[in-house]
Amino acid sequence: MFIIRIWNYLRGYAIIIVKGLKIERFINLAVVNNIYIWDIEKLDYTTVQAKIGLENFRRLRDIVRKTDSSVSILSKRGFPFIIRNIRRRRLFYFSLFLICVFIYAMSSFVWMIEITGAKDIDNENILRCLYNEGLKEGSWKGRLDIRHIENRVLINMPELSWIGIQIKGTKAIVEVVEKSEGPPLISRTDACDIVAAKDGVITKLLVLSGDPLVKDGDSVRKGQKLVTGTILRENLEPRQIHSLAKVSARTWYEDAEEIPLQQIEFKPTGKVARQYKLKLLDKELSRKRSVNFKDFNEYIEERYLISLGDYVFPIKLVEYRFEELEPRLKTLMVDEAKDKCTERLNARIKLRIPEDAVILDRKIDYYTDKKSVKAKISVEVLEDIGVKQKIN
Amino acid sequence: MGKRIYKLKENISNTFELPKDIVLDVSKIIIIGTGQVTVENHKGIIEYSEEIIRINIGSSVMKLCGKNLSIKTILQEEITITGEITNIEF
Repeated sequence: MFIIRIWNYLRGYAIIIVKGLKIERFINLAVVNNIYIWDIEKLDYTTVQAKIGLENFRRLRDIVRKTDSSVSILSKRGFPFIIRNIRRRRLFYFSLFLICVFIYAMSSFVWMIEITGAKDIDNENILRCLYNEGLKEGSWKGRLDIRHIENRVLINMPELSWIGIQIKGTKAIVEVVEKSEGPPLISRTDACDIVAAKDGVITKLLVLSGDPLVKDGDSVRKGQKLVTGTILRENLEPRQIHSLAKVSARTWYEDAEEIPLQQIEFKPTGKVARQYKLKLLDKELSRKRSVNFKDFNEYIEERYLISLGDYVFPIKLVEYRFEELEPRLKTLMVDEAKDKCTERLNARIKLRIPEDAVILDRKIDYYTDKKSVKAKISVEVLEDIGVKQKIN
Repeated sequence: MGKRIYKLKENISNTFELPKDIVLDVSKIIIIGTGQVTVENHKGIIEYSEEIIRINIGSSVMKLCGKNLSIKTILQEEITITGEITNIEF
C-alpha cells in the first residue's frame, strides 16, 4: 500500500469533491471502469471527498454524466505540481540552489584561525608565519598540506617547540607550545667564575669549588667577580676549573610614587552611542562615523554573523560602543592617597623581586605636601646573587 | 446444473484443500481489530454513509455499522474500509 502511495504521489493526484445522490453508483462505476480512487470520506449526506490520480480525472466525465453528480477539485498534490511550482518560480529556486552551492563552496575554505597556547610570542607573528606557508583566512582546504606547514613553521620559528594544526569546519585551530628558554647552561667541564648578578651585601658565601675573592659581610657591585675558577698555587701551573658556590646576599629594591591630591576623574555619564558595520574578511563595508562626545571610551566587539558549529563564514558584524565620559575634579584625602600609593608600590615591587627571595624588611616612607603625596618603598631581601660566567 | 457444478467445485476444493475463495468465487473478508475490514472479491458497494456501509459480496450483502467509516481503497477485486466498526451483518 505504501508503494502505491508513493507512486500516486509521484504521478500527482487531486483531492476531489463529488456531489450527488447516487454516490454509491458513482464509486462502483469508477471501479468498474478501472479508475482508482482512494481515501473516500463522506462529508455529508450528498457529498464525498476522495483522491484520484491525475490521469484518471478526465475519465470521470462519463460517470459524472451517468450519475447526475458534480465533481470539483479541492486541491492538487504530488510531485508534478511541485515541479510546476518550481518552474513558475524558476529564478527563486535557481538562486536558492546557487546559494546552497555558494555556501558549500565557502565551507571548503579556512575562514578563521584560532591560536592557542602562545604566551610570550605574539599571535601576529605566528599568523604571519602561517601566512607565508599558505595558511591564511581564505585559503582552500583541499590544497593545505598540514604536516608540511607544521614542519615549515617549526623551522621558521625556533621559539616554538611544537605546533599542531587542526582543520575543523572552516576553522583552523593552531595549537603551539613555546620553548621555555632557561639561562644559557654552562657545561660542567667548562671552566667558569661566579659573578654577582646584583648589588648587595654578602651574608653567606658557600664555596664548593674555586677560590673565593670576597668574604661574608663584603658589599659587592653588579658584575663583580665573587669566586674565581682560575686556581693559582705556588709551584704549580695555574689551572682553570668549574667553580661552584652558593652566594646568599642582602639586596635592596626601591621605588617611588607620587599621587596628586587633586585629580581629574572620568566617569561614565550613562550615554552610550552604538555604531555597526559589516566586515567581510578584512574589508570593512561601511565607514566609521565620528561621535560627538568630547571624552569617551570606545569598545569594539566583533561577532561572526554566520556560524554553524565549526563552520564559520567570514562576515563579521563589528559593534562600536562609545560611552560618554565626564571629567570630574576629585580631591583625595591624604590617607586615601597614601593607601593608593602603597597599593601601587607593593604591586610594582612584587614584580621585580624574584620568587625564591626571602623578604627581610619592607619600609615605606611618605612625604606629604599641599599638592601631592609622595611615597618611597624600600624592601630588603635575601637572595642568591651568584651567576656563572665562562672564562674566556 | 449450476448447483451441481458448485457442489463439485466444493468437493474438489475440500479434497485437495484448495482455498475456497479462489475455487468457489466467494468473498474473502479480513477483519483487522475493530478498525479495518478488507473484502476481497466483492461485487460493488450498495450503500455508503459514515455510519453504514453495505457491500455486495455475491451470495449475500454484507452490512458494516460503525462511526466515521471511510473507504481507504477501492479496486475491482478489493475494498478496504477503515473506521470504528461496531457491527458486521450478513
